[in-house]
Amino acid sequence: MSSYRCVFLMGVEQALEYRVSFFLSMLSAVFPIIIQTTMWNYLYRHSDAAAVFGYQQGEILLYTLLATIVSQLVSTGFEGEMNSDIKMGGLNKYLVRPVGYKGYRFFRFLGQKIPRVMVVAPVMAVIIGMAFWQGMPVSAGRVLAFLVSLGLGLILNFSIFYCIGLLGFWLTDVDKLFGTISIVLTVVSGGVFPLDIFGGVVETLVNLLPFGYTTQFPVNIVNGRFGWERMGVGFVFQIGWIFIFVCLGKYMWRHGVKRYAAVGG
Amino acid sequence: MIMVENLKKEFTYYKKMTGIKGSLHNIFHRESLTKEAVRDISFSVESGEMIGFLGPNGAGKTTTLKILSGILYPTGGRIEVDGFIPWERKNEFKRRISIVMGQKNQLWWDLPASDSFYLNKCIFGVDDGSYRDIITELSELLDVKELLNVQVRRLSLGERMKMEILAALIHRPDILFLDEPTIGLDILSQKKIREFLKIYNEQWKTTVIITSHYMADIEALCDRAVIINQGQLVYDGKLADMNQVLGKRKLLSVKTSEAVDIGAWKTFGMVREVSAAGAVLEVPQEKVKEVLNAVLSELQVDDFTVTEIPIEESIARFYQKEVVMP
Repeated sequence: MSSYRCVFLMGVEQALEYRVSFFLSMLSAVFPIIIQTTMWNYLYRHSDAAAVFGYQQGEILLYTLLATIVSQLVSTGFEGEMNSDIKMGGLNKYLVRPVGYKGYRFFRFLGQKIPRVMVVAPVMAVIIGMAFWQGMPVSAGRVLAFLVSLGLGLILNFSIFYCIGLLGFWLTDVDKLFGTISIVLTVVSGGVFPLDIFGGVVETLVNLLPFGYTTQFPVNIVNGRFGWERMGVGFVFQIGWIFIFVCLGKYMWRHGVKRYAAVGG
Repeated sequence: MIMVENLKKEFTYYKKMTGIKGSLHNIFHRESLTKEAVRDISFSVESGEMIGFLGPNGAGKTTTLKILSGILYPTGGRIEVDGFIPWERKNEFKRRISIVMGQKNQLWWDLPASDSFYLNKCIFGVDDGSYRDIITELSELLDVKELLNVQVRRLSLGERMKMEILAALIHRPDILFLDEPTIGLDILSQKKIREFLKIYNEQWKTTVIITSHYMADIEALCDRAVIINQGQLVYDGKLADMNQVLGKRKLLSVKTSEAVDIGAWKTFGMVREVSAAGAVLEVPQEKVKEVLNAVLSELQVDDFTVTEIPIEESIARFYQKEVVMP
């Protein structure tokens, strides 16, 4: 068995090791859905206009529900471990073994995601099914494109947080920032509400920056806000940003390890 | 097998005065200092040899092991390990070495050790047959057969250390670096690990460099010791010869039937201990016979023994840098 496959399977195993934590994570997938639904229903009921911020009630519900799930799916959590690896010398064990640190982290991350995917996939299918039933422009082609962009979003978010984790080579106490960074990035990725409600400059910024491509972009594919042409441009950006962060990660790793090897762990 | 020539390693760090004032001052102006962790060390290790690498805390032992295993770059000097330059970190090199650090762990905390073993098997590309053999053999030798499927976090420190060592040997490395493998363990676990390492080294002819603060480890396992202090080599030779370097002295313990005054003892030589039942004298080796004759003729002696100065004591004197390599 290849070493990365083994790391992947151990990641799955690890995520299933603690039953309570697993069931709580299921709950945490459902809770935001209830909160979002209640909140938006309330907002629309007390508003005279049929569309708030340019979104119909059904559209905004579909968006926020899917965005909550997507942002949970792409979310990381290994950056703290990376930081302690760097600070406490845990990195040593990777340096002396013939295994790549990034690959190791990536497949462990993927493995740990699997149980969550199993829980969330049916929920997502139900939401999309209901949207279709309500007459929203959901189609098989869009769902397929959505799944592809979701996979890419996962890779992109991994690459972004891998770089953030690597900051530990230069900044000693970066781990206290991780909570804040993660919340801010969830918001600017469109993980809480669609950022195009701000229009104008903000919308342009979101389209240019990488973060929206982890969450908002996949969701907008499936809810039919994009035409196919705009979707194509989005994919180019998404792949471009992955490329940039992968290169940045490589660069940071090379210099970071050199620094680590000079100062010691 | 291992060749170290004029190894040097410097670290830069920043000076900080205590308190908030110091922290504020540091934001704008940081004074960098250089610490020479390793100054100029040379030694070599033959294939299959097991050497004790000793020194007080902060002497540079761990730094040297980290350089030998490729984790750190040296500031200067030449090193070859099994024909490789360690810090180039070639995969072929990594397959031949292994390092165990008593204070760090490589096992996955939430999973049984057997999972981490299997991961190492995959990483190092060990085939199924030899993997099975080695797990069976080593887990029996280390007495951890029953514990292979227990979550690592539930193991005791001693059990975990045994697992760490097992994990490090799955790919049958030619060279094994052990940095304080028995630290914090009870006497029985220490003994078990010692016995294991002895058998393993004899059977597999693995080259081993071990650091430990427990002399029992070193005495049981190594013929040869390399001692460093403040980043410099202070001794490289047989453990048994250490006393020779320190002035060839012996201990003469004498038991007498009646109490002897300390003044009287002092006439025979340096008195290290005295009690109503006798005394311990430190005597130059060539004078042992002469002193013994004098003691026997002048005092009512019940029993006597002549012993070497304990190794621990010799080493302590090297640590205090009373003596430097001849």
